[in-house]
Amino acid sequence: MRTRASVTVVAALALLVSACGSSDQSITIYSGRTENLIGPLLEDFTEETGIGVAVKYGSSAELALLISEEGDRSPADVFISQSPGAVGFLVEAGLLRPLESGVLDLVSQKFRNARGLWVGLSGRVRVLVYNREMVDPASLPGSIFDLTEPQYEGQVGVAPANGSFQDFVTAMREVHGDEVTLDWLEGLEANGAQTYVNNTAIVQAVGRGQVRYGLVNHYYNFRARAEDPSLPSENYFFPNGDIGSLVIATAAGVLDSSDDSDLANEFVEYMLGESAQMFYSQETLEYPLASGVQPSSALPALDTLNAATYDFDRLGGGLERTKELIDASGLEAP
Amino acid sequence: MRVGSRPHKLRPTVGSRQLTVAAGVVGLLFLFPIGYLLVRTVTLGSDLGNTLFSSTTARPLVNSLLIASSTAALSAVVGTTLALLVARTDLPGRSIWRWALALPLVIPSFVGATAVLAAFGPGGLIELVPRIQGFWGALAILTLLTYPYVYLPVLARLSTTASSLEEAARLLGDSSWQAVRKVVLPQARGSIVAGTLLVFLYGLSDFGAVSLMRFDTITRAIFSAQLSDRATSLTLGLVLALVALLVAAVDRSSAGRRPPVTTVGSGQLHYALGWATGPALGFTALVVGLGLATPLLVFIVWVVRGSSTIGVGYSGLGDSLGFLVEPTLSSAGAAALAAAAAVIITLPVAYASVRRRSWVSESAGTAVTSVFALPGLVVAIALAFWAIRAPGLMGAFYQTLPLLVLGYVLHFGAQALGPSQAGIAGIPKRFDEAARTLGVGARRRFLTIELPLMAPGILAGAGLVLLSTLKELPATLILAPIGFETLATRIWNAAEDGFFAEVGITALVLVVLSAVLTWPLLIRRGISRVGRDHRGGPECGHRRGVGDAESR
Repeated sequence: MRTRASVTVVAALALLVSACGSSDQSITIYSGRTENLIGPLLEDFTEETGIGVAVKYGSSAELALLISEEGDRSPADVFISQSPGAVGFLVEAGLLRPLESGVLDLVSQKFRNARGLWVGLSGRVRVLVYNREMVDPASLPGSIFDLTEPQYEGQVGVAPANGSFQDFVTAMREVHGDEVTLDWLEGLEANGAQTYVNNTAIVQAVGRGQVRYGLVNHYYNFRARAEDPSLPSENYFFPNGDIGSLVIATAAGVLDSSDDSDLANEFVEYMLGESAQMFYSQETLEYPLASGVQPSSALPALDTLNAATYDFDRLGGGLERTKELIDASGLEAP
Repeated sequence: MRVGSRPHKLRPTVGSRQLTVAAGVVGLLFLFPIGYLLVRTVTLGSDLGNTLFSSTTARPLVNSLLIASSTAALSAVVGTTLALLVARTDLPGRSIWRWALALPLVIPSFVGATAVLAAFGPGGLIELVPRIQGFWGALAILTLLTYPYVYLPVLARLSTTASSLEEAARLLGDSSWQAVRKVVLPQARGSIVAGTLLVFLYGLSDFGAVSLMRFDTITRAIFSAQLSDRATSLTLGLVLALVALLVAAVDRSSAGRRPPVTTVGSGQLHYALGWATGPALGFTALVVGLGLATPLLVFIVWVVRGSSTIGVGYSGLGDSLGFLVEPTLSSAGAAALAAAAAVIITLPVAYASVRRRSWVSESAGTAVTSVFALPGLVVAIALAFWAIRAPGLMGAFYQTLPLLVLGYVLHFGAQALGPSQAGIAGIPKRFDEAARTLGVGARRRFLTIELPLMAPGILAGAGLVLLSTLKELPATLILAPIGFETLATRIWNAAEDGFFAEVGITALVLVVLSAVLTWPLLIRRGISRVGRDHRGGPECGHRRGVGDAESR
């Protein structure tokens, strides 16, 4: 009995597997961006193009690792990376192929790989959120490095365990070096920076006046204000390309091992199209990175910000080293 | 009472050569993860000796051993005490405690640690001084999450020991405490050791809790170098695997030198706690309060508070829970399959090492046990590495449910092996010999005598695998078929986005599902046991607690 049942199961599985393999118009995506934040776009893509999409979700680093161990047999056609280090790792491992020029041209050079191995889809901008009832906007700091000065003592909120904060510190390490970065982190700690579990908690604390300033991604304040318009919290973008207002991009690349690179390119192109970019603009309040697509009217335009960018590919897998530096500085997540 | 029969006289009821071969094959299967680490360490040309003796390896390695052994010792005391209280005393409310005490195991460590921090950290519900962090924080959280590894098998063991020896001890003038210490605990020793070993290995493998508590262990070093320095990361993984093999081998060889005294029967003695009722109740409530009630309360607070997120995801009370139906079914199905597969696959090893102990059975047991010390991500990546390179039809199993279940079995096989082995070791040979004398065939002896008697041990093992699988994350993300979502992957998804209302509701569903699935393994067994006694059966002659003791 049991033998017959297991034979049936094996046969059914074999059928299932071969059925998946023979479906002609479909691609496989490994996505480091979560389903909540990309799923609706994928459904739209299939509906509009007839191309099926199979998605594996996971953390960007783990999926990059999986792709590198799968090697040229990887079922993945497209890799979407939420954290900059992971896509840099695949670039270094030589596992990505250049995107078609028609796709690359949709994005300004600032937000794509120099060799055309990935493009940015959407951007998060790091900001200083402040309480407008307690802070004179004219006195806001010119650089994130100023936050270690005495007038900010005990008044800055940070979320050391938050992924975007760590991405930002990784970028700071790349631009200014480990020593300067560690000095800054230690300076924050010595200056009595307040730590919070996440960005939302920081915005709430600034709104309540518990601290005057906080380091967060730009969209958290918009979400909080959408809920409670009376919150006196405001975003401040550091000027002059200061690393404090870094743009962190969600990146997409096509695998060198993909058998369907045409479809994969078509997918990336779709993600840079008007309707997909509007999803970022309207639903997640991120910055659309395709040239010519405007962000939500609530946001200042990206090119007026002079926000900092940096070369993702120099990052490799430096995120964990960043965590070590944060640990060493004594900044502690609550 | 029959004392002192030697192992080689205990003939197994199934063919001994087939048994040894089966155990050997299972052992080889469990070598795939370490095989991957070896192959990759060699192909990446990393220097094992150099990594092994460098100071950057030494400190995290010492920290790992420190946290794992401290957690193991503390969990042994906590788990055994709780099992004794629930199974052998008149502790008020013990039928509820019995069940609630198993559940902290199901709370994923990263969510559990976050919840405890949310409750007792700065700005939490209650602010604790000093702050929960570092070694002591990791020890507290890991113990709360892992004592069930000791509690469950010991509980299973204490529910099957006969009362005869204890009655004798009491008649000879021993106090309750002396009877427990001299008679009850020695009989549970195999289960205590097996459970403690699991906690130790889990302590080595854990990443979620130590990382949140910022305690620098070797798993943190493995993850820290995972992309930036692949060779070092893999070599550290190999070091961890070698340490685990060593520990498992030492455990196996010493197990042979401590033959357990075993009795079996029903109608266990229940000791009156007397003045100790208050403290015992307080202790039990404290453990359930911290390990289960606190996380549950935090989850409920998250749900009630709702979330101020964008227009996607679950946003709090009143939202439909329909999106959790499929993940719940997937979680339950995968966990049940994994539990069944793990006990079936490891049974030959467990049986062989009790009945036909040989270098093959012991090597196989060592291999099975060691995999549990590896982080789930390493096991999953290893299996992916082999599966995608497997020839022919085997390769077609990549990213299918059977491969995912195999991943769970490899990672959690140790949890099935220990309790099964303790269960088998607890069967007195007397029944089998009596049946043999009466001319009952080997197969029938196994099915009607041994299997029912080893069932509590096997079910305890299945329960452990079930609970562990329900919360498993990295292997599920890596190995699952595309589109296969479990409650654990949903929790991770929501936590990544900072959607705490969704984390809370999904974690609550996970705990409820675990409670429902654990019920038949822990509670109903007590009921069916009574029924079986009335029906009569192989153990019927021992109903009044006429025990049988022997040393193996």
